[in-house]
Amino acid sequence: MTLTENLFENLRLELRRGCLTLAVLAQLKEEHYGYTLRKALAGRGMEIDESTLYPLLRRLEAQGLLTSEWREEEKRNKRFYRLSSDGEQIFTRLLDEWSAINTSINNLL
Amino acid sequence: MELLDRYLQAVKKHLPWQRQDDIVAELRANLEAQLEDKEADLGRPLTKEEAEKWLKQIGPPIQVAARYQRQQYLIGPAVFPTYCFVLRLVLVWATVLSAIANAVDIVVNNLGGEGVLRAALRLPETWLISVALVTLVFAVIELTCAGFPEKVHGLGLITEPMTASWTPLDLPPVGSSSGDRAKPQSFTRAALEVFASCVGFAWLLLVPHYPYLLFGPGAWYLQSLPYQLAPVWSTFYWILILMNALELAWRIADLARGAWHRPPNRARHLAMHALSLVPLSVLLAAPNHVLFLLKNPAADAAAHGATVASANKGVFLAVSIIVAIVILQLIWGVGRSILDEYRRRAAAR
Repeated sequence: MTLTENLFENLRLELRRGCLTLAVLAQLKEEHYGYTLRKALAGRGMEIDESTLYPLLRRLEAQGLLTSEWREEEKRNKRFYRLSSDGEQIFTRLLDEWSAINTSINNLL
Repeated sequence: MELLDRYLQAVKKHLPWQRQDDIVAELRANLEAQLEDKEADLGRPLTKEEAEKWLKQIGPPIQVAARYQRQQYLIGPAVFPTYCFVLRLVLVWATVLSAIANAVDIVVNNLGGEGVLRAALRLPETWLISVALVTLVFAVIELTCAGFPEKVHGLGLITEPMTASWTPLDLPPVGSSSGDRAKPQSFTRAALEVFASCVGFAWLLLVPHYPYLLFGPGAWYLQSLPYQLAPVWSTFYWILILMNALELAWRIADLARGAWHRPPNRARHLAMHALSLVPLSVLLAAPNHVLFLLKNPAADAAAHGATVASANKGVFLAVSIIVAIVILQLIWGVGRSILDEYRRRAAAR
């Protein structure tokens, strides 16, 4: 990878990092377990690695933005996540922030 | 699938022990669901090579496990600026103090070149210990900040360095750190400085004849003591007079040719600083380090000999320390001049 590509990759990852949280919070207005959440996000164009998404779910839960419960589905125990009430509030505010940034960038372009 | 079991076992080894079963159970459920989907798409179980490729794509177990760990820094971004600031201060002061201590040791014990070499070789050790100690203290602070963020945030000192109490009014005036950009002084100030220097010079000339100008009423008491200054002080005094005369002549010349408004000249300042080593060296070169004598050695040696010897040793040590400090200041000043000149040339390019 050339220096320019490396720099672009770093900047791209930095840009995506915040968006991933927003995408996960948006998708978890409906209940999901890790794998179906990943599939749902990928289906809407937001591909996330397993090794990024699953730990992210744990972190968001530890921060009180998600709630989770173990439940059996298709003969297998799975951990289901959804947005908590705090998570909903934060998500709304983040969405406003994202819209404002998006508008600003569009105005600049 | 045996390979998946082995993979999860390897991930588990690197997970925090309190949560490893829970995390592995969740990861297993997710990966098995993914595996089922893949096999349903293919209409057959994954081959060993395909399974290997899939798990490789997910990532090495140690990296996957690391994502579940709390992000921990030895010294995190909140504390790092303060760490750098303190480290710089500690390194400078450790170097200065170590240099002074070594200089005194070299002079007092007459260690010569070998002593200088030993001192220079000890310097990296001093730096290493300073860095290690500061890093250790800040690593503990970082751990405390990470473990008890609310309590530490309440203290508001280290995690928010120089932010809460900072105000632009505390900033130094422009150019105060560089002699080149210092504000030109007014004629009144330059004239007052010349006048004060004249008064100071006259005072210095009168002191030997009227000791009470230096010691006040204590001069009569000192005259009654059985001690006197060694002849080396006379040389010291006349060199001091010469230096003051030179400085005064310089100031008067500046005033006469209208150069008072020029900012202080750093080269001249350094030259005077270097010259100040001359009278001090005279004291250091006193034969047998004798700076004080008994007025009547035959009569007073038994009663006051020890006191004089002790005073000679103490004053000699004090002069040695002063010389060491002056030399360090000189090195610092020369270093800064070279650095400023280098910056000026780099900016001009």
